[in-house]
Parts: sequence; C-alpha cells; structure tokens
Amino acid sequence: MSKRHSIVPPISQAGPKPPVQFSSSITIADSAVLTGSNPIVIHSESVVHPRARLESLGGRITIGRRCVVHERSTVGAVGTEGRVTENGVTLGDYVTVEVAASIEAGDTVIGDGTTVGVGAKVGRGAVVGKHCTLTPHTVVAAGEVIPDFTVIYSNGMRRMDKRGVVELKNKGQARQIEVLRRMIPSNPSKFQ
Amino acid sequence: MAPLTPYTFIQCPCSDPSTLASSRPADASSPTSISGQERDDDDGRTFDPRAPRSNYSLYPLEYLLYCEDCHQIRCPRCVSEEIVTYYCPNCLFEVPSSNLKSEGNRCTRSCFQCPICIGPLGVTSLEKPADANLLAAPDNAASPPSGPYILICSYCNWSSTEIGIQFDKPNSIHAQLAKMRNGGVTRLTAKERKEKRREAAAQSGTGVPPTAAPTTTGGDGQDLDVEAQFANLKHFYQGQLADANAAGASSLSSLGDLGFASPNSLSRIMSIYTGGSLHDKKAKTRVGTMREALDSDEGFKLADLDESGAIEKLHEEGYDGTVSSEQLSNQPPNVGEVQLHGRSRFASELRPIPYLLRTKRSKRCPICRHIISKPEAKVQTTRFRIRLVAGSYIPSIAIRPLPGGGPPPDTLQPLRPAQFLLTFKNPIFETVKVTLASPATTPGRFASKVTVLCPQFEIDANTDVWDEALNKDGDKERRRRKGEDSGSGPAGGGQAEAGKIWERGRNWVSIVVEVVPASLRPPTISFGKKEDTGPLREDEDVLEIPMFVRVEWEVDAGGDEVGSVPSKDKDKEAKEKRELAYWCVLGLGRVSQG
Repeated sequence: MSKRHSIVPPISQAGPKPPVQFSSSITIADSAVLTGSNPIVIHSESVVHPRARLESLGGRITIGRRCVVHERSTVGAVGTEGRVTENGVTLGDYVTVEVAASIEAGDTVIGDGTTVGVGAKVGRGAVVGKHCTLTPHTVVAAGEVIPDFTVIYSNGMRRMDKRGVVELKNKGQARQIEVLRRMIPSNPSKFQ
Repeated sequence: MAPLTPYTFIQCPCSDPSTLASSRPADASSPTSISGQERDDDDGRTFDPRAPRSNYSLYPLEYLLYCEDCHQIRCPRCVSEEIVTYYCPNCLFEVPSSNLKSEGNRCTRSCFQCPICIGPLGVTSLEKPADANLLAAPDNAASPPSGPYILICSYCNWSSTEIGIQFDKPNSIHAQLAKMRNGGVTRLTAKERKEKRREAAAQSGTGVPPTAAPTTTGGDGQDLDVEAQFANLKHFYQGQLADANAAGASSLSSLGDLGFASPNSLSRIMSIYTGGSLHDKKAKTRVGTMREALDSDEGFKLADLDESGAIEKLHEEGYDGTVSSEQLSNQPPNVGEVQLHGRSRFASELRPIPYLLRTKRSKRCPICRHIISKPEAKVQTTRFRIRLVAGSYIPSIAIRPLPGGGPPPDTLQPLRPAQFLLTFKNPIFETVKVTLASPATTPGRFASKVTVLCPQFEIDANTDVWDEALNKDGDKERRRRKGEDSGSGPAGGGQAEAGKIWERGRNWVSIVVEVVPASLRPPTISFGKKEDTGPLREDEDVLEIPMFVRVEWEVDAGGDEVGSVPSKDKDKEAKEKRELAYWCVLGLGRVSQG
C-alpha cells in the first residue's frame, strides 16, 4: 500500500466510538472519523474517503449502496439546535457527498443518485429528492423538501434536470468506485 | 462601518484643465517649462478630491503608466489603445482580424458556455442506456464513443438534449449548431438562403421584385427566423431602391435624347442653381412611392399576437422554465430565433453561448504616440514586450498611523490631532528631491487642518540591495545620515519635529503629517453666505488630503531613458534636470461621527 503520509497531523478520535454496521464490500479509509453514540450503517460497495467525518451524535446514520463520501465532508453534523432524532442522516444509493460538504443531522434524507457539491450545506431535516445536483457552495435550508431531479445553483436558482441519464450516472459511479477501491486502503476493522 | 485602509490616488495630468490648456507637444519635450507654467496656473487653486470631476482622474499608482518621451504620467483614460490580438479565452486560439469581420466576435470553434449558468460546456458522446444489467457489467462501455454527441455543462449538468440538439460529429460544433434550431430542426444558413433565393428568382423568370403572388416558399412564413426575415427584407428594399434609382438615373442619363425643353433636364438645371431643393422634393416624392413588403419572401411577417401557446407552456413548466434577464443578455444575438416577437422566454429556447473573444491591447502615449505598453502577441504568454508602469518612475507613497500617540486604527476622532507616517519609496536609480505641498485645510464642507511636518527632502537612489548590505561604508553612511536627523528619528524619543525626516532608509524616507480632523456636524448657523447644511453624504466622513508632489532629479543628458547607462560619446559631465509634478490624494481614514 501507499507509503505516502499526509503532512496534516492525524485527527484524534474525539468522542465516543459509535456502534457500526458495515457491509463486507465497503471501502473505508483508516483516517476517516466516525464519532457519536448512535449506530452508523454503511451498505455495500460504498466508499468513505480519508478524513471524512461521520457523526452520529444527533441520530443514526445510514449510507446506502455505492455512495462516495469525500474528504473533509461531514455527514451528520450536529447543528445549532443539537436535537437528537432517531434517523440522523439517511443517504440513498449512489449518493456523492463532495469535498467539504456538510449535511446536518435531524431526519435529513438525501435521495438516490444525488450529488452534494463541494462545500455545499444541507440543513437539518431537509429532504433532498432523487438524482438532484447541489452545485458547489449551495445551501439547502433546514426542513426544505426538494423534488427529484432538481439542480440547485449556489445563487439560489433552481432547474429541473431532464437528461434522463440516471442509468449512465449510476454506471459512472460504479466505475469510479472500482478505481477508488484500488486507491484507498480500506480498514473497516478499525471502526468495528 | 467598514474600516478604511489608507490609500493614495494619483491624479493623471490629462484631466487637469490647466495642463489641457498648456500642454502642447512642443512644451512636452521640456518638462521644466511645463510645470513652471503649471505652477503659475495653479497658484491659489487647489485640487479638490471631492469634486465630481476628480472621480475620473484619480488612480492608484498601479493603474498608471509613464511615457518616457513626454516624461509624464499616463492614465487608462488618456492612453490610446490598439488591439494586438483577438483570442478565445477558452481555447486560447488566436483569431485573425479578417475572420472577425466575417464571423463575428465569438469563438467559432467548439467553445461554448452553458446558457443557464455560463459554465464551460464539454462535448460528450451520448451512449444508449440500453443494457439492463448495469451492476454486473461495467466493462462493456469501454468501446470507443460513437453516435450522437451533446454539449454538457459539468457544473450544473445542463445538456443540449434539453433544447433538443445533438451533433453528428464531435468537432466543428459551431458550424453544426449554426445549421440547427432548438429541437433539432435544420435551419438555413445565410449562404444557403441566398442560393435558394437565386433559384427562386431564376424559376420565376422575372427579376426583382417578384410579384406579390405567394410562392412555394410561402409556407414557411410562420417560422421565418430573425435572420431570414432580415435577409428577405433587405433584399426586397434593395430591389425597391434600385428601381427608384434606375428611374432617377434614367432622367439624367437620357439627357441627350430629351433636349433642353424636357422637364427633367429643366429640373436638373434648376437644381444646380437652387442648391438642389427642387430636385430633392422630387426625389422625396419618388421614394414615397416605394411599396411595402407584401409576403414572407419579401420579409413580411404578421405579428403573432396569439400567446396562448406561451401561456400554456408557462402553466406547464412554471417559473423554473423561464429565463432570467441575465441569461437572456448573455445570449448571442439573433441566432436561430424563431420569431421576433416571441424573444426567448423559456429555458428551452436558450442556445449554447459561443465564447466572446478577448483582446490583448497595446497602449500608446496620446501626445508623442510612443508605445508605452505592449503585450507579447502570442496568446499563451502573459509577458509584455514594453511596459512602462508609473510605479517604476515615480515614488510610491505608503501611509500608516504613527505608532505611539496615534489614533485607534479604525476611526479618527474629530478635533483631536492625529499623526500619520508617509513613506516615500524611490524606484529610480538617481537621488530625487521631493517637495510636498498641501492646503492648510482640506477642501470640502468639513475643513480639516493639515500640516506636513517635513515638506522638502531627498530620497537616495534605488541602488543595488547588495551594495549596501556588503558595503560597510554604505552602512556607515546610512548611520551618518540617520544620525544627521537623529533628533527626530524613532531612536530620538519618538517625537515628530517640524522640518525633520522621521526615518530614512536605502531608497525610502518617512515623514510625518499631522491632521486635525474637522467635526462632522453640518454648520447650523450660516453667516450671510449660502452654506450647505444638508446631512452627511456618502463617504464624506473620509478624510482625504490633496497633496501636490514635485519630484526633481538629475539624469545624464545623453541617456534618453531614466536610469539608463549614459552613452559614451556624450559629455558625461552634462546633467539634465528632470522634474515631475502631480497632485495626489491621501485617504487617511474615517472621521468618527460623535
């Protein structure tokens, strides 16, 4: 495996270690951060990049099949309210959470095939539909419900995605995961 | 309120009315005479940074250029620009200016912007999403891409399929797009249209204009797009004009046949003597007889006032389906628009935007026409061949509040003296003599008092940094110089003293300016004179000091350029005195409103 070491100091595992439920086929980097008291469930073939944060303090985190959670993103961030709900964050299948994106906990749902763009923020309790695109630095307000196939721009503009390339996108995601599995050394046992 | 960082703006002499009057090219060659004249004019007249005109003449030092032949500052407003190259910012391809005339100012290769979010569009092949077992076989897509191609925006996932456009080839997208309307309907290009018309004319046998009977092409009158309509109209009216001219011309050319008794020749002779009024009247009446376009071949088009279709569509797609005015303004003009009256209102009517070309420009001095800035013609390089920036000729001025006894950094207290340190840095290789002058009170409604503690000083030349560091003597000399003024230096008690330099370095000098900001209350009592008692206007609380800077230095007479090596054959002893004088404005900070 790669001998390259990051110059950034390792993130100390702060907080309680959450109970996890991993599929055998997932890829999770050694330096990913999983904290919280509620269970974290990751379904088959999903990839969690190094330094991604999964926080289950505000409720259970479920990540669907073939999802990619990128570096420095936070899934299940406890917002200002700090409310605990049963389902903190639920990501559907084929969801991509881009670099430095943040998804607050509190019954938040991200639908299948949705891409949460770089640095985007999804508020607590928002329900993002299937196959949506949140462009970089988009902010989705707490509790908002977004219909399927919506493209949200960072200036607040919205548009329906009428390409109909769901299958193609899923295929692309599958191929990307193929590559990522080879690139990212997986160590699920560290979290179990 | 946002804190204000101190700034220095320099006035370009081009907007100064006195220089406008006096700066003739003859005078420009001898800068001493010019500024002498200038000073005479300037007596008793200070520059007001708040005057409306000043907005257009003040620039930060970085924006200014310097003409070495006129020895004068040049601003972006007064230089004349010439375009060196046109290029596409996306593909960095240089476009010859001949192409520009024929094909317009947009990239005609495959560079497009997304009509929704103006992100760059990429060309991808559209695969058939046919296979059902996606999870099982991701490898079957490894075959080379083929089939229809589309433009896709990687930022917002817009694709040209949304406006019903697909391409057969992955290259020359621009040409393919020109032949296509939204929805994939083919569209005639200008050339094809011309050919078609010629064919039609040949068929009908009669020349221009054809009779009003609807021809075979009358059917597509409804989807006559703007370009086609314009072409038809132009063609029609040119025909009409030719007719009218022919009629007029015949009256002149057939002079010999008609003899002197004919009314036509009479009118012609009359027009010679009466200045053409008679003839003109006649010409006008003749033009008035031109008939208007009657059918779509002639560019006639009924206004489509039935908007039920658009309303229906609006019901269907809602607000999200409409375009914003910003998107509309980004659209290239006239391309493939179906009709004039229904200018695209829906997102489905938008077109990919070909990139607007950019230019590289060279700049010339307006007076002596010498080039003072010229970029490298090659698009990929960002270097300049010639670039005479003012920053390497005139001293820069940095402002900071005087440490100790200074005001808090964000606001100035009214009626309380504050001291600022002005650091002048000399960029040239000669010792310069600087003379400063500022009015005792700032112009404007709130007159703050200004005192420049050391209005005259000398700055050492911008010698090699290592010279000083390696040369012990230089170091000693520097200490000596410092010692000379040490009574006022920071070592000497930190007290600013009139007539003394605060601190001095290799090629810089710091001096102290003391201001007493005015109170910002509008005067309540007016003493006979009409005074402005209105409320505080925008940015009127910013303390701005106009300052006249005069820089004097000596150069070798042989050297044309400042700081250049003097040529051997010239007399080395001969020194030429150079002088440059300009107004600048120092923005010190905001005065607090108490």
